[in-house]
Amino acid sequence: MSLTADVPEGLPRDRSAPAQRSDRQAALWGFAAAGARLLLIVAAGLVLPALLFTLWWTATERHWVPEQILPAPALVWQSLAELWHSGELQSHLEISAARVSWSLLIGGSAGLLLGLAMGLSKTAKAYLYPTFDVVSQFPVLGWIPLLIIFVGIDEPLKVSAISLAVVVPVAVNTLHGIANVPRSLFEVARVHRFSLPQVIWRVVLPAAGPSLFTALRQGVMQAWLTLVFVELLASSEGIGYLMVWGRQLMQMDLVVVGMVVIGIVGVLIELVLGTLEARLQRWRPAAY
Amino acid sequence: MPQIIDRTNGRDWRGAALPLAVLAVWWVVTTLGWVNTRLIVPPAGVLKTAATVLTQADFYRGVLASLVRDLSGFAIGAIAGIAVGALMGVSRWSNRVIGPTFHTLRQISLFAWLPLLSSWLDTGDRSKIVFIALSAFYPVVLGAFEGVRGVTRAQAEVARVYVFTRRQTLLRLILPAAAPQILTGLRLGLIYAWIATIGSEFLLANYGDGLGNIVFKGRANFNIELIIVGMLVIGLIGYGFNRLADLFEARSLRWRKA
Amino acid sequence: MQRRTFTTLLGAAALPTFSIVRAQSLTDKPSVIRIGFPNAGTGGRPVPTGNFPASADQLGEIAQEFKADGIRLEWKYYAGAGPALNEAYANGLLDFAFGHGDLPLIVGRATGLKHKIILSSGRFGPTYFVVPSGSNAKTVADLKGKKIATFKGTAGQTQMIRFLRRAGLEEKDFRVISLNSDDTKAALATGDIDGTAGVVTPFDLEARGIARTLVSTDDPAITTPGTVWVGETFEQSYPQIVQRLVTRLVKVAEWGTHAENRDKQFNLWARSGTDPYSNYKTDWGKVTDLRTRINPLLDDYYHAALQRAIGEIKEFKLIRKDVSLDGWIESKYLDTALKELKLENHWPQFDAKGVPKSKAA
Repeated sequence: MSLTADVPEGLPRDRSAPAQRSDRQAALWGFAAAGARLLLIVAAGLVLPALLFTLWWTATERHWVPEQILPAPALVWQSLAELWHSGELQSHLEISAARVSWSLLIGGSAGLLLGLAMGLSKTAKAYLYPTFDVVSQFPVLGWIPLLIIFVGIDEPLKVSAISLAVVVPVAVNTLHGIANVPRSLFEVARVHRFSLPQVIWRVVLPAAGPSLFTALRQGVMQAWLTLVFVELLASSEGIGYLMVWGRQLMQMDLVVVGMVVIGIVGVLIELVLGTLEARLQRWRPAAY
Repeated sequence: MPQIIDRTNGRDWRGAALPLAVLAVWWVVTTLGWVNTRLIVPPAGVLKTAATVLTQADFYRGVLASLVRDLSGFAIGAIAGIAVGALMGVSRWSNRVIGPTFHTLRQISLFAWLPLLSSWLDTGDRSKIVFIALSAFYPVVLGAFEGVRGVTRAQAEVARVYVFTRRQTLLRLILPAAAPQILTGLRLGLIYAWIATIGSEFLLANYGDGLGNIVFKGRANFNIELIIVGMLVIGLIGYGFNRLADLFEARSLRWRKA
Repeated sequence: MQRRTFTTLLGAAALPTFSIVRAQSLTDKPSVIRIGFPNAGTGGRPVPTGNFPASADQLGEIAQEFKADGIRLEWKYYAGAGPALNEAYANGLLDFAFGHGDLPLIVGRATGLKHKIILSSGRFGPTYFVVPSGSNAKTVADLKGKKIATFKGTAGQTQMIRFLRRAGLEEKDFRVISLNSDDTKAALATGDIDGTAGVVTPFDLEARGIARTLVSTDDPAITTPGTVWVGETFEQSYPQIVQRLVTRLVKVAEWGTHAENRDKQFNLWARSGTDPYSNYKTDWGKVTDLRTRINPLLDDYYHAALQRAIGEIKEFKLIRKDVSLDGWIESKYLDTALKELKLENHWPQFDAKGVPKSKAA
C-alpha cells in the first residue's frame, strides 16, 4: 500500500514525496511516531498533577501554610497506609457504601416506578407531574432539617435523605427516556396485546436504555453527594465521619485521606458505569 | 395496556389534586389530633410562622446574604468555567494537560472539599464563596467544553475565510455556536451553586448568617414551623432559578431560529 | 492563564500566614489585640460564659484597660469551640485564648502551635453524664453499644472518656457522634442519642422533662483546669501588654471570688443563652468558697492536672506526638500581678491531688 493510495485519480500526485521509501520503513516510522505521540499525550496529562503535587510538597516543606492546616503529602500517605492496615478505612468505606447501596435500591426503585407511571399513563402524569415538577426542583438538602426532626440522626436519616436524592434524577430521566420511545413501538406492543410487564421489559427498557443509564449515573452521583453531606453533618461512622474526626483533632491528614478515598471511589464508579454502558450499547442493536 | 387517549380539554386541573389532597389530609390529621402535633405541626401554625417570619427584616437579610454569596460564587465559578472549558475545547493540547486532572478532581464529591476549604480560608464568607464557585465550575466547564468542541469544521472554515483574528473567532463564532451547551452548563452550575450555598450554611450553621443558618438553627429551638417555611423558601428559590434559566435560555437562543 | 489562577488561589490560602508576621511589628504597642473564646452562646451568639475571663469581657474590664492607649480589641467567639479556635490561631487570627480546655490545648501544642500558658481560667466543678428522660439506663455500662454524643476535640470529649473508663469501657464500645451543645440538647429531647457527657448542664433539661442525670461526680480527676494563653510572637513583642492584661484578669478573678458578686456573675454568664441562671446556681450550689473554682493559679495542682491530661490524651490516641510541659507555662505574669494587687495569699495553693495546701486568708 503506497502513501498516495488515497489520493483520488484526477488530482496531481505530490511530486515531493520520496517514491523510494519502502512500505515497511514507512509503517515503522508511523508506529514510532504514534508511540511517541501517545507518550507525549500521557506526559501532558501528568504535567498538571505533577505541578500541583510539587506545589503542595513545597508549601509544606517551606511552611507557606501552617502545618496544622495543610498536612504534608508524606503524612497523608502514612495515615492512608495506617488506616488501610488497621482495617479502619475498609470498615468506614463499607458503612458508607452500604448506605449508598440501600438508598440506590430504595430511591432507584421508587424513582423508576414514578417515572414509569408518569411516562406510561397519561392520567398518572396529569395528577403527579405538576407536583413532581415543582418539588423535584427543590434542593434535596433543604429537606434534611425536617428529616432530622422526623427520623432522627441515625441510619434512617442517611438512607432516607440519600434515597430522596436518588428518586428525582431517576424519575426525571426515566420519564425522559419513555418520552423518547417512538410511538410506533407502543403501537406494535398494543397489536401484540402485551401486558404491562411485557411492555416495560420488551419495549421501554431496551428503547429507553440510554436514558435509564443516565438515570442510574445521575442517581449514583447525587447519592454520593448527599452521603458525604449527611456524614459530615451527623454521623458516628463512615468516610465523612472520618473527616470530621480529623478536623476536630487537627489531624488534617485524615481529612485529605477522606478526600482521596472519596475521589478514588468516584473514579471507580465512573469506570464501572462506563464499561457497563459500553456493554449495554453493544447489546442494544441486537435487541432489535 | 394503558390508554393513550387524552381526555382533557382545556386546562388540566388534575395537577392540583395531589397537593390539595395532601394539604387536606395534613389538616385533618392535625386537627383530629391523630398525630403528635409537636412533630407534625398543623398547617395553620406554619402559615402563622410564615406570616411572622416573612415580615421580619432579619429573615430577608438572611435570604439576601445567602443569595449574594450564591451569585458571587456562581459568577466566579461560571467565568472561570467558561474560560477553562473553552480553552480545553479549542486547544487539543490544553485538553490533554488540564483534562485528566480536571476529570479526576471532579470525582471528589463536592462536600468533601468543604472541611479543607473552611480550614484554609476561615468559616465565613470566603470559604463558602470559593466552595460555591467550585460547585458551579465543574458543570460550566463541561458545558463550555462540549459546546466549543462541537463547533464544526465548516464553521471554523468560515472564520478562516473571513480572516478573523483569534479574538474575533472566539467571540463572533465559537461562543455563539457553543451557546446552547454553555447555557446548559450554566443552568446546571446555577443549581449546584444553590445546593452548595445551602449545604455549606447547614454544615457551618453557627458561622455567618443566611437562609440555611436560620433554618438549621430552627432545629435547636424545635421551631418546626420555621423549618418548614425555610425549606419552602429554599425550594422555591431553587425552582425560581430554574425558571429564570429557562427564560434566559429561551430568549438568548431565539436568534438561532432566525 | 490557568496556572496563574491556580497559583493565585493557592497563594490566597497562604496569605494568612504572612499576616502573622506583619501584624506584630516591633513597636511598643500593637494596634489591635485579638482575643478568642472557645465557646459562643446558643446558636453562635457572641457572648462568652462560664469563667472569669468571660466575666471580664462582659464587664468591659479589658476594653477599659486599653482604651486610653487607643488599642482596639477584637473579640472572637468560636461556636466550633477549642478546635475552631486552634484553626484560627494556626491561621494567625488570634493573640489570646480565654478559657481553653485541656484537649484542644494539648492537641494544639502537639501539632506545633506555639503559645504560652499565662493563667488558669478556673478549675473543678461537677461533671454530668446525661441521658434522655425516657432512658432505662442505671449506669454508664448499661449504655454499652449505644449512641452517645460529645463535642469531639473539646475538653468535653476527655471528660466523657474518663467517665467511660470509670465504667471500664472505651469510646469504641459505643457509637460516638460529635455534636455541639445546641445539637446535643436537641438530640436528647428527641431521643436520638442515648447519652452524653461533658457538654451540657442538665438541670434546665431536667426541669423541662427532656433529660435526666445518670451520673454526676465532683471528682477532680475528671476535669482539668481551663487555660488562658497568649501566642508566642505576641508575648515576645509586647510583654508589657500581656502583663497588663493578666493583671486585669486577676483583678476580675478576685472580684469573682466575693460572695456578693456570685449572683451577678451567674447572671452575666446566663446572657449567653446556653444555660439559664438556675443552672449555674445549682451547679455551683455546693461551692461555699468561690475561690476554689474561680482560681487563676498556676500551682502544683495545675501542673499536675495538665501533665496527667497529656498522658491520658496520648493514651486515648487523640494526639500522635509527645507533648512536654517544658517552657510552656509562663507564670511570671501571674506572679507579678498577684504581687502588684497584693493578692499573693488570696487564693489557696492546691497540691497535685487537688487538696488545698494551707488555709488562706
